[in-house]
Amino acid sequence: MKPVLEGRDVSRSFGGLMALHRVSFQLFEGEIVGLIGPNGSGKTTLFNAITGVFPPQEGEILLDGKPISRLKPFQICRMGIGRTFQIVRPFLKMTCLENVLVGIVGKDEKGTSREERVEQALSELEFVGLGGQSHRLAGSLTLLQKKMLELARALATRPRVLLLDEVLAGLNPSEILQALDMIEAIRVKRKVTIFWVEHVMGAIMTACQRIIVLDQGRKIAEGPPDEVRSNPRVIEAYLGGADA
Amino acid sequence: MSEFLMFLTNGLVMGGINAISALGVSLVVGIMRVINFAHGEMYIFGGYLSYQLAVGAGIPPVLSMLCSVAAVFLGGLAIEKWLIRPTYGDEMYSLIITFILSIILQNAALLIFGPYPVKPPSLVFGATNIFGLFHYGNQRLLSLALAAGIIGAIMYLVRRTWFGKSVRAISQDREMAAMLGVDHLKVNMISFGLGCALAASAGAIIAPIFPVTPSGSGAVSLTAFVVVVLGGMGSLKGCIVGGVILGVLENLGAAYISTDYRHIFGFIILIGVLVLRPWGLFGKRI
Amino acid sequence: MKRAGLAGVFLIAILVPFFLNQYWLHVAIISLFYVMMASSWNLIAGYTGQVSFAHAAFAGVGAYTSGMLALYGGVHPALGIIAGTLLAGVLGLGLGGLCIRMGGIYLSLTTLGFSEILRIIITNEEQWTRGTMGLQIPGVFSVYSKTHYYFLFLAVTLAFLVLMRRLLNSDTGLAFRAVLNDELAASTSGIDTVRVRLMAFTSSSAMAGLAGGLYGHYLMLITPDIPSLGQMFLVLAMAVIGGMGSFAGPIIGAIALEFLSEYIRIYGEYHLLLFGLVALVIARFAPSGMVGLWEKIWRRR
Repeated sequence: MKPVLEGRDVSRSFGGLMALHRVSFQLFEGEIVGLIGPNGSGKTTLFNAITGVFPPQEGEILLDGKPISRLKPFQICRMGIGRTFQIVRPFLKMTCLENVLVGIVGKDEKGTSREERVEQALSELEFVGLGGQSHRLAGSLTLLQKKMLELARALATRPRVLLLDEVLAGLNPSEILQALDMIEAIRVKRKVTIFWVEHVMGAIMTACQRIIVLDQGRKIAEGPPDEVRSNPRVIEAYLGGADA
Repeated sequence: MSEFLMFLTNGLVMGGINAISALGVSLVVGIMRVINFAHGEMYIFGGYLSYQLAVGAGIPPVLSMLCSVAAVFLGGLAIEKWLIRPTYGDEMYSLIITFILSIILQNAALLIFGPYPVKPPSLVFGATNIFGLFHYGNQRLLSLALAAGIIGAIMYLVRRTWFGKSVRAISQDREMAAMLGVDHLKVNMISFGLGCALAASAGAIIAPIFPVTPSGSGAVSLTAFVVVVLGGMGSLKGCIVGGVILGVLENLGAAYISTDYRHIFGFIILIGVLVLRPWGLFGKRI
Repeated sequence: MKRAGLAGVFLIAILVPFFLNQYWLHVAIISLFYVMMASSWNLIAGYTGQVSFAHAAFAGVGAYTSGMLALYGGVHPALGIIAGTLLAGVLGLGLGGLCIRMGGIYLSLTTLGFSEILRIIITNEEQWTRGTMGLQIPGVFSVYSKTHYYFLFLAVTLAFLVLMRRLLNSDTGLAFRAVLNDELAASTSGIDTVRVRLMAFTSSSAMAGLAGGLYGHYLMLITPDIPSLGQMFLVLAMAVIGGMGSFAGPIIGAIALEFLSEYIRIYGEYHLLLFGLVALVIARFAPSGMVGLWEKIWRRR
């Protein structure tokens, strides 16, 4: 079976600092794969490489077997990769409805009328639980709502793969549960493959089928949560090798 | 031949002035991502204040120059604190505010100093024989020396002092620098003041040779920006090399092609750089 | 409620020539010119976040192209104005294409350079442009009548505003505002941000060309003051004081400031300085301009 999203020997440096060193990975359709690692290990850099914001300098990224490394971010989005951001970035001065509409407009499908697009946007808002907020400005939402809005906007672009960047950051425990439900709903009902960077270990260990671990720009482990959790190299990376 | 050498040396002198002026812009852009459109006005205030102090108040010329630069430095600190600081993160508003400021200062200069060009007294007189090839004005030579001196001082500042280290840390990675305890508000304020002071010193140095007028500020700003783009944003070396190249080209161009269009060379260079090599000679490749 | 208000404004606008004397009618016509300029500048600055300093220069392109075509080529002003608009648009496309990729600062610098260079060329090529003395060009109508000019300006301005409104409410307008809010998020949501900004820049420069062409044929004397940074500043101040990023802001700013500047004119040299100070205060303390302040007051009730 061919992977939906694949990275081969992806490398990226910033002014002499090697942020990613020959990282390879594969995501298969319908999977939910976690990406963890200590601060500065290159997780967001990998996401930026995949979405074309800071393209890989060496190596290749393939979506459904097609290379996408040389494409611009908006083209990569249209090909089917959606993302959310570590620090949530909705369009603050626009309404929730308009936020989601941007995603739909970005997809640039011909032959849909304005009404159809608005309907589609409203259904996305419903899906994430913001159905009653369509006319509120994004800037006035709570943190959880902003994150849901970002998800709705990403979903509106009809992604094959969704990149979640620390989507649980800053949420309290009950909000985390709501977010987890939403992510599962996205995976199951919308048939989206999910690649998820996260620091909230408990959540990612339970939700993901497979975890990839980065440290200082290199992949150091990959496997089911239990294996990764007890992998000595992973423990060392997080604890800095200190012994109990 | 001696005529050519004279034009070339003129270019070097102007190049030095351009370099200092551009350093003022580059510092502020590199640290704060802010373009100070009022840069040209700082330059002419440097020249005008130095004139007023020397001629109006009878203060010795060297002291006048120093005082006027100091005054502009203080003004720069105030401007950063009250006008620029609130716009952090919003590139557009800082552009707009400094543009409005430049119009205000330009008109204020017109009202306070009048529209006539003024020329502060020279510090030295006479001319020197350069290698037996041509005679060159001593005041101009002094200007070149002063410019070189200031550049040297800035390089020392950047390489050896805490300020310079903070500047380099911030321009590489702002967040990392903040985590390491660099007080970026203070650094920003001093940088902006320094940027204005550099502009003022350029104006004060050149004023005894080429009189300053309030309407000349636009060309000054533009020249500084062109040098920064040519040399590469955030590069000290770039300002020096770029400044000299532009100074020489403009002088040779004005001498041999056309004086009316001297400023067009700068613009052509700007367009050329943007098309062929947007990060300039020494800037970071994007 | 809103429609009644708009209808009322429209009615007043039509009746203006009948209760203003020639001098104030002239001021009204000039303010319509500035409405077009401030609104189209707002399209790039307020709606897509690019501060261009070439706006007045593009108006100058329109004015001089149309004027010189009419004077030296006997071309009818209507065609000349269209030619000026197209040329301004083409130059805008070229200039934008050069610097839009590089980011806000480069765009501002390049447009600044372009503006100064254009002014230098116009001033120096005296043989064709009569430099600072000004070029006398024919008007649009064979018989001069301020009332006719007023209605011409009003018609064009209204068409202008209607088109802008439709653009902003369209998907393109949505893309504009997304780019303004957060360019990175817009691009990862599928918006071709470079294309969007280029479109905004090109259409806005064409609009400036149109306004300039019309203006030139009204004044019948064009000078390098039109493409000057002083004019650029006025346009910017009107948009900022009125309220950047809102539709009505630049309109209100343009009319208010133009009429105000006539009152200040007795102070002669101070008027740019005064505008500058007001604009600075507003930019610093009330960045959404008069419209923003009004909305804040309205929301408090």
